[in-house]
Amino acid sequence: MAVAEPFVVPRPAWRRPLSLDLRAPRTWSIIGASLFAVMTLIALAAPLLSPHDPLVPVGIPLAAPGHGGFLLGSDSIGRDVLSRCLYGMRASWFAALVVIAGGFLIGGLVGLVAGSSGGWIDNLLMRITDGFLALPAPVLAIAVVASLGPSFTHTLIAVSVVWWPFYARIVRGEISKLAARPHVEAARLAGAGRVRIALRHLLPGALPAAVVTASLDVGNLVLALAGLSFLGLGQSAPAPELGADSARNLSLLLQQWWVPVVPGIAVAVLAVIANVAGDSVRNLIDPE
Amino acid sequence: MTQVRFVGQRFAAMVIIVLALAAAVFALQKMSPLDPVHARLGGQASQGAIAAERHALGLDRPIVTQFGHYLAGLVHGDLGDSYRTRRPVTTDLLAYVPATAELAATGLIIALVLAIAFAFASTLRVRGAGLFRLGLMLGASVPTFLLGVFGILLFYQHFGWLPASGRTSIGNAPTGPTHLLTLDGLLHGRPDVTWDALKHLLMPATAIALGPAVAIGRVLRSSLEGELSSDYVRTARAKGRSERQILLGHVVRNAVGAAVSMTGLQVGLMFAGVLVVEQVFGWPGLGLYIAESIPVADFPAIAGVTLLLGSAYVVINAAVDVIQAAADPRIRV
Repeated sequence: MAVAEPFVVPRPAWRRPLSLDLRAPRTWSIIGASLFAVMTLIALAAPLLSPHDPLVPVGIPLAAPGHGGFLLGSDSIGRDVLSRCLYGMRASWFAALVVIAGGFLIGGLVGLVAGSSGGWIDNLLMRITDGFLALPAPVLAIAVVASLGPSFTHTLIAVSVVWWPFYARIVRGEISKLAARPHVEAARLAGAGRVRIALRHLLPGALPAAVVTASLDVGNLVLALAGLSFLGLGQSAPAPELGADSARNLSLLLQQWWVPVVPGIAVAVLAVIANVAGDSVRNLIDPE
Repeated sequence: MTQVRFVGQRFAAMVIIVLALAAAVFALQKMSPLDPVHARLGGQASQGAIAAERHALGLDRPIVTQFGHYLAGLVHGDLGDSYRTRRPVTTDLLAYVPATAELAATGLIIALVLAIAFAFASTLRVRGAGLFRLGLMLGASVPTFLLGVFGILLFYQHFGWLPASGRTSIGNAPTGPTHLLTLDGLLHGRPDVTWDALKHLLMPATAIALGPAVAIGRVLRSSLEGELSSDYVRTARAKGRSERQILLGHVVRNAVGAAVSMTGLQVGLMFAGVLVVEQVFGWPGLGLYIAESIPVADFPAIAGVTLLLGSAYVVINAAVDVIQAAADPRIRV
């Protein structure tokens, strides 16, 4: 007599017990994903890590890296480039995280409402989303910041405004796939209300895809925000900001290369860290 | 018949999106704390002059009427006057567009060449493909402006191979008819001008090309690999076709669709890259224009650049969809 094997749902990789086997790819993915936390800690600790005040001249101007007590040199009025970069990385990192969180929340909400209600609400919300997606986001962000006036908050608002539609699309796609599944029908038959179905039976299934998208997106945002800052659409002059610090000192490039180059390298370091961490999160949640 | 209907629908969608863009730019202008009358007349103007100017600009009419006038202006190519240059924005844009168009087009060509090389090298497992891939990936993680800066340090300062700024170093370069120096040089029988323009283009165009190249190359590679594991490829292999024949004769045409769509989408990223990289190379295009407009809050100029680049992006992507539908009847939106 054939006995039906009980169907065991495999646990997702991130729920399995932690092991420290350095040969297992999963261990490396966990290490990679924890870079998000490490970078956030570094960003939080920027004031402790910086050897000098980023805003105040503390030594001879234009000292080369390693000279005059400056590890990464000093800028044209004698401020410490390393300290300015650490503070700039802190601002860029948190800005990217804030925009991701904003996009995730707004886009997730729009996608959830559209996907779970269907009908004309779905149609209307998705047409608006498509309209946004049909326009070049970075160019639109420039116009929004320019009209609000350049400032850090306005940059965050502007980029969030153009960044959410991507998340709405992804969440809506996942939700409408899930809505056709039997467990949702079962919940409906059991008398669950629409809100309960959306929050308890649809949203948890859509989260992994949204989290993967968000973690792969941090690097893109770091680069996009650095570009806006480079164009002068960020904090105003004395504030340490990576893109702007590079743009303002371009004229020094052929004599004192470190002044414009080091902030750019800091952006690249942030983007690489974010991309490695994002890839690791994807491997953990969704291992092909 | 369905083809015609598809083109019609796509065209209608394009017009609606451009209208929405115009409405968004108009709304931003209204939301902006900057008063256009103040910007035109300065702080010392009398009450009467301000009222007269408000009336002349139509700012005392209802907002819907103002939007109607704005749209009518756009249709006639009127984008308002720049606060900074005091000239019509359209005139300014016409002066700056050719440089940007030339740079963006060259960047797109370089991005496509790199993407195709990347996708085929890793699909065919050519020796050194891994290294090439790593190089491209690193390049795509580096901000555009830093790529430009590294290029200048290496190829201008260290090797002295390439110029570091501007479009040309030839004083009497021909002006017209296309205003694209590479083409004008050829049309005027001046290959030296074309060669010089190409040398100026190479660094900024490569800097904006790397990010899109990786994005396009990834899509192309994954659809190439997807097609290679399909049944018709197995049949072709069983018939004894070589891998090269299979790839070029069967697979490429089926695999290219997603990459073409991605190319259209990457144009947006490329426009943003152009605006940034023009600062680094002192390239006399829209990026320089918008960078000079941002510090003085010259909103009509910024709005003009946004409308122009936004519409170009929408039109390019509509064209990509139509071309794809013509090439592959399976595609429908």
